[in-house]
Amino acid sequence: MLQQLLPRSILALGLAAALAPFAAQAQVREVVSKQVSVGRADATLNLEFSDESTLEISLRDGAVLIDGEPMGAFEPGGEVDAAWRELLGQAVALEDGSLSEALADWTVPADLAGSLADVARAIDRALEEALDGIDVQVDAADGTVSISIGDERSFLRALLGSTDRLGLFPAALAGLGADVRVHVGEDVEIAEDEIVTGNLVVIDGDLRIDGEVRGTVVVIGGTVDLIEGSEVGGAVRLADSRLVRNLGSVGDGVVDIEDGSNVEVVATDRLRDQIREEVRREYEVADRVRVRVRDERGSLLSAPFRSVAQAAGGLMENAFTVLILALLGAGAVVFAGDKVDVIAETARRSPRRAAMVGVAGTFLLLPAWILGFVALAISIIGIPVAIAWLPLFPIAACLAAAVGYLAVARNTGEWLADSHYPWTGWIRKSNPLITMVGGLLGLMALFAAANVLSIVPFFGFITGLLLVAAVIVTFLAVQIGFGAVLLTRAGRRREYWPTYDADAAWQEAMSVDVEEEVREAREPSDVGGRGEGDA
Amino acid sequence: MRRTAMVALLSALAVQPLSAQSMRTVTMSRQLEDGDEVEVSVEYSVGRFSVRSVDEGLLYRMNLRYDEDRFEPVAEYSGHRLDIGVESQGRSRGRGDRESGEFELELARGVPMDLDMEFGAVQADFDLGGLALTGLELSTGASESIIDISEPNRMEMGTARFEVGAAEFTLHNLGNLNAERIEFDAGVGSLVLGLDGEWQRDAHLSIDMGLGALELRVPEGLGIRLRKDSFLTSLDSEGLVKRGDIFESLDWNDADRQVTIDLDAAFGSVKVVWIR
Repeated sequence: MLQQLLPRSILALGLAAALAPFAAQAQVREVVSKQVSVGRADATLNLEFSDESTLEISLRDGAVLIDGEPMGAFEPGGEVDAAWRELLGQAVALEDGSLSEALADWTVPADLAGSLADVARAIDRALEEALDGIDVQVDAADGTVSISIGDERSFLRALLGSTDRLGLFPAALAGLGADVRVHVGEDVEIAEDEIVTGNLVVIDGDLRIDGEVRGTVVVIGGTVDLIEGSEVGGAVRLADSRLVRNLGSVGDGVVDIEDGSNVEVVATDRLRDQIREEVRREYEVADRVRVRVRDERGSLLSAPFRSVAQAAGGLMENAFTVLILALLGAGAVVFAGDKVDVIAETARRSPRRAAMVGVAGTFLLLPAWILGFVALAISIIGIPVAIAWLPLFPIAACLAAAVGYLAVARNTGEWLADSHYPWTGWIRKSNPLITMVGGLLGLMALFAAANVLSIVPFFGFITGLLLVAAVIVTFLAVQIGFGAVLLTRAGRRREYWPTYDADAAWQEAMSVDVEEEVREAREPSDVGGRGEGDA
Repeated sequence: MRRTAMVALLSALAVQPLSAQSMRTVTMSRQLEDGDEVEVSVEYSVGRFSVRSVDEGLLYRMNLRYDEDRFEPVAEYSGHRLDIGVESQGRSRGRGDRESGEFELELARGVPMDLDMEFGAVQADFDLGGLALTGLELSTGASESIIDISEPNRMEMGTARFEVGAAEFTLHNLGNLNAERIEFDAGVGSLVLGLDGEWQRDAHLSIDMGLGALELRVPEGLGIRLRKDSFLTSLDSEGLVKRGDIFESLDWNDADRQVTIDLDAAFGSVKVVWIR
């Protein structure tokens, strides 16, 4: 009875699908909202269906997530990633029906194997279950046939796509007992803890068994994957199908309906090849790991050299800064030497006052910038000036700070020249540019010292202190210089004139003991004369 | 054409993993449920933006390209209210060389819609033709916006409001908006208002301008009456007759449609250009 019922049920469904496509289509789940999101590290598809259920498949940071649940790993940029992104690329331009078709038709890339194929299958299955799932219950008086089909297209394809396949149905379904579960046009997975008490028929779909099927398994136009520990009580019948692997137990063996041969031998060969392939891949992974370990050891050994390189880089940076500032200083000396003199003189004579003015000026920069713009903008004539004001004011402020810093550097150079410290003999006060360069080197000396000290291990604290001191010195130099620029109106107003006080000069002249001066002037020649006489 | 290009770009980006910058592409769409009025709120801060109408049974479709480090897309639909756009995540690396984002929005043609759009520094290109607008509010910051209402609005609108910050703002076919009252609040910049289009009723136009230039492009045959309250604003009133404190077009009394303009400007210039 059941044997007659099953093909009849399938035929009836086929006719229903063929003759009433609109009715069948109405049962297909409608996608009401779609979101395709692609970033550097992830590619995600969100679907919302008419019944308010949702599906989210995301390939993110090497993990495949289906509705937030991790399903496996993938290699970013690898085959699974590329295939998924290609599908999303198509989905961007599709809506509703065509979108569902494209997503449901997606298949596991043929060249995938192992865990990657499993992950891809999980994605495929999730899409098909979300988009296709139509369950049909066919009740019979002496048994139950549960038929689950995909959309009407896949069902018709399964039935009409190959007349040869239709011819295989009688043999494949022969002798099945009561309680048959049929899946058409969709992939099926029997989970580890799942038990199918009756027979299982899969038409035009892939079957993966991790649990137990107590009856016979029939697969027409698909593949069978028997995971380790899986059990099939009856036979596994394959019609126009392929056994991927058999790591479980099959009570009555695996039979190819087309030629009646036992396909396990063939499958064993395939399994052997697969194992070889996996072993080879493992070796490659191990090789890569070894290479990585070697690299890491190499990088550990080179750590001191790395710190030397970093220190050298820091010193180069300091030297480059000095060079740039020296060029700027040369320009300032050549084109506005007298103004630099005025600024430097002010900074030297009243550094405290200049610093305070510099700090106040720094705080007032932003308000002055904004108020200046507003003041110019509210007058129609000033609008073009206001537009120029926006970029020119900050540039002018930076230039003022730089020139002020250079003036302070020149003062520092002069002080170094008088100090007779080691390595300062080359600084000649007669040349303002060399004096300025000497001062710049002096001001940058703390930065350079910190860079040099960073080579030495365990001196991190002292290096930090040096850096803090260097920053403070630079800050003070900039503020003094900037303040001096403000006080002298960019060197145009001399704060300290070289004054001639006649009274003071007279007093100084009168306080000189002329005879003493003359005696002192003569003494060296007298001593020399006596020496010669003694000889 | 632009949409095709955008889809092609998104498709290409989807196929190849993005590598250089943390730019992200998102396309979202939602099927139209019914023809009831929808309240739509759009928010976008920085980048290029465009909006136009769409058929295909969709309520909306948006193609978005944005910096995922700084922004987050929003698309919420609930109770005939659609909130869509990009929200700032409040953290920025402050790099000046960042690529700007792009936002293409398509809204359902013919579905009654109360549209509220808020933009920051955006280069915007609108075509509101085909949308059935019952209300419109548009607020822009420092932007360059070109708005065209290329087809007459099928719905009658009470008030349309435009708040324009520091911007270059051009609007074509204002008459197609089918609004009883249109309000502009402009800060600094250039404002070009095209009073062309199909005026289905008399309207009142209110312009409050701070600093900048306003150009009114008026089609011949449309009656306009201009009331000016300004501080330091020049008016090039060619084709207008001054009667007391107001300026009127020569055919004001005979015109089929009359538009009254209240202008409150502080600094700048106002120019009336007649178009055939």
